[in-house]
Amino acid sequence: MSTVKNWQLGRDIAYPYDENRPKKQWAIVFDLNKCIACQTCTLACKTTWTSGKGQEYMFWNNVETKPWGGYPLAWDLRVLEKLGRQDWSANGEYLGKTLVEAAPPSERVLHWAPEDQDWMYPNIGEDDCAGGTVDGGGHMAQLPHDKWFFYLPRTCAHCTYPACLAACPRKAIYKREEDGIVLIDQTRCKGYGECVRACPYKKSMYNPWTRTSEKCIGCYPAVEQGVQPQCVVNCIGKIRVMGFINPPWSARADNPIDYLVHQKQIALPYYPQLGLEPNIYYIPPVHADPAYLEQMFGPRVHEAIERYRALPQDPVAAGLLCLIGSTDRILHRFKVERGIATGSDADGTELVSVPVTESIFERSAFDANLGVVRNNTP
Amino acid sequence: MKSPHIYRLLGGAALVSLLSTPGCGDKGTAPTAAAPGLPAAEPISELTVARVDADLSKPDPDASYWRSSAPGAITLIAQPMIAPRPALVTTEKLILQAVHDGKHVAFRLSWADPEMSEAGGLGQYSDAVALQFPFNNEKLPPVMMGGDGDPVHIFHWRAQYQHDAEHGKPDMASLYPNASIDMYAMEFHDAPGGSRDEREMFNPGVALGNPQSFHKTAVDEIVSEGFSTSAVQAGHGSDGRGVWKDGSWSVVVTRAMTIDGGSTLAAGGKSAVSFAVWQGGQAEVGSRKSLYMNWLPLTVAP
Repeated sequence: MSTVKNWQLGRDIAYPYDENRPKKQWAIVFDLNKCIACQTCTLACKTTWTSGKGQEYMFWNNVETKPWGGYPLAWDLRVLEKLGRQDWSANGEYLGKTLVEAAPPSERVLHWAPEDQDWMYPNIGEDDCAGGTVDGGGHMAQLPHDKWFFYLPRTCAHCTYPACLAACPRKAIYKREEDGIVLIDQTRCKGYGECVRACPYKKSMYNPWTRTSEKCIGCYPAVEQGVQPQCVVNCIGKIRVMGFINPPWSARADNPIDYLVHQKQIALPYYPQLGLEPNIYYIPPVHADPAYLEQMFGPRVHEAIERYRALPQDPVAAGLLCLIGSTDRILHRFKVERGIATGSDADGTELVSVPVTESIFERSAFDANLGVVRNNTP
Repeated sequence: MKSPHIYRLLGGAALVSLLSTPGCGDKGTAPTAAAPGLPAAEPISELTVARVDADLSKPDPDASYWRSSAPGAITLIAQPMIAPRPALVTTEKLILQAVHDGKHVAFRLSWADPEMSEAGGLGQYSDAVALQFPFNNEKLPPVMMGGDGDPVHIFHWRAQYQHDAEHGKPDMASLYPNASIDMYAMEFHDAPGGSRDEREMFNPGVALGNPQSFHKTAVDEIVSEGFSTSAVQAGHGSDGRGVWKDGSWSVVVTRAMTIDGGSTLAAGGKSAVSFAVWQGGQAEVGSRKSLYMNWLPLTVAP
């Protein structure tokens, strides 16, 4: 067992392999305040990657309603229940055990193993509200709302310390040096399902037709071409952006992902206490139960929400949010100058440029040239 | 994380316990059921392969020639070396018989298993047994999967593979008969589909030629040079046939005595063998297995 640095927990953790960070690390940031659970990401992924035999039930990308939804069924509840109560210190250091640290000697990772029926309700709990019953009246009058739910889109987190990789006795899972994408070698995998058991986020899935386990591949063929994954570029709400994250000690303020995660600290990893250093990051919803959010995102979630609320006063942050969804290309750098947000490639080539505030044009309802009255229909 | 808040959200302990039915790999104690189907056997510390006048190229668990080989029992333990491993041994006793006809050698292996498991669906695992032979009969490799440059030759029977051999590789409709499937890309009921390559593109394991993704004979031949290195290789006509009855398996694995580039047994010669058993019903697969911790000396009758 090695000792490796986990910046999300503010301490070193135990892991079966040495620390070996990739040259670049694939990452996605999601703004949960914007997700409407249209499932366009889910279907973009489904039609691209999992339309084959044995993949019928697979959603490498899914969107579930929290707190009631979960694919597979109640995955987060069951993993948290296995781990038991753990605590954070007041300054954000994790005092509890990770899944590797809490594993019994006979296991590599403490886990919950799903059965097939657990996978069969991918949209259970959709739009179900938490916070008790409604007896009438203004229940949404203040923030945070006492009645709440939010949507959680999820892909593989291409963790820095993947549980799937740690658990595979065949060493058939590897993390790519060039972009940190975690892949199951489809020629080596023998379908033992150890990765399915071990991944707490349940993003490794067994294919009963090919008898191998499969998972989100981070759309690496697109990423190799400098293009963001299918779930990102098809997002109609423009809630997500894929890029490359640096650890905090080498973060760059002009890197979009570093800016949101490290500089502004408004995007957080989910269930970081599991110890895998997952690389999907969430801007938490402002209206949900704070205690629930703390369980999911850790104690820094409350400050993150406060900073998010202050974004309209920050032209750089507002500019970056305008860039999200404005190009299919991977943004390596961005800048905001004179009301224009510009994103560029790794070599500095400009990829996209958008105004932070859209111009407003006023015109009369009657068009004299055509002799018609225009309706203001979008 | 001051409190497990979601417990309150989900309405307390009753729902939690409803959702926390033990999953695969969490099934607790090892089976201890008596197995009336198991033959009586004395403990052995070496195994003699009796010569019989029969054709052993095909496995036959019920053949009369098995009376030529007195059943001997060995004790297995839970795989102890590498995680993940069973917390408890699930198969404590393995009963062995062995015969040869000068060209083929056959082993009949019997053990108690309270439920027959052929795998197939998600989270299901197959009953299985494996025999391991050294490449080098003079200097035995490390007994646990061989060593670097010191390979072992493994014959791996699975109930799942036998199902393939007898009934064909199950399709999705037989694995999940109530599932509704519209169509697959390049495969249509009433129109020409794509080429084989185009169809296989949607089945990664198949497209890349992973042996696991194809129709199996009952036995896989595997070469290994240590933990995590085992690889299925082209077979040499080995075969297997198992019968599960009254809470026990009786499985025959037959193989050629001489395999070029593999392990070899010679009439009148000596070698060694080791064993592993998996109980699919206990979610055993891969390194989760019961095994014989030593090489069992093997004497082949002239």
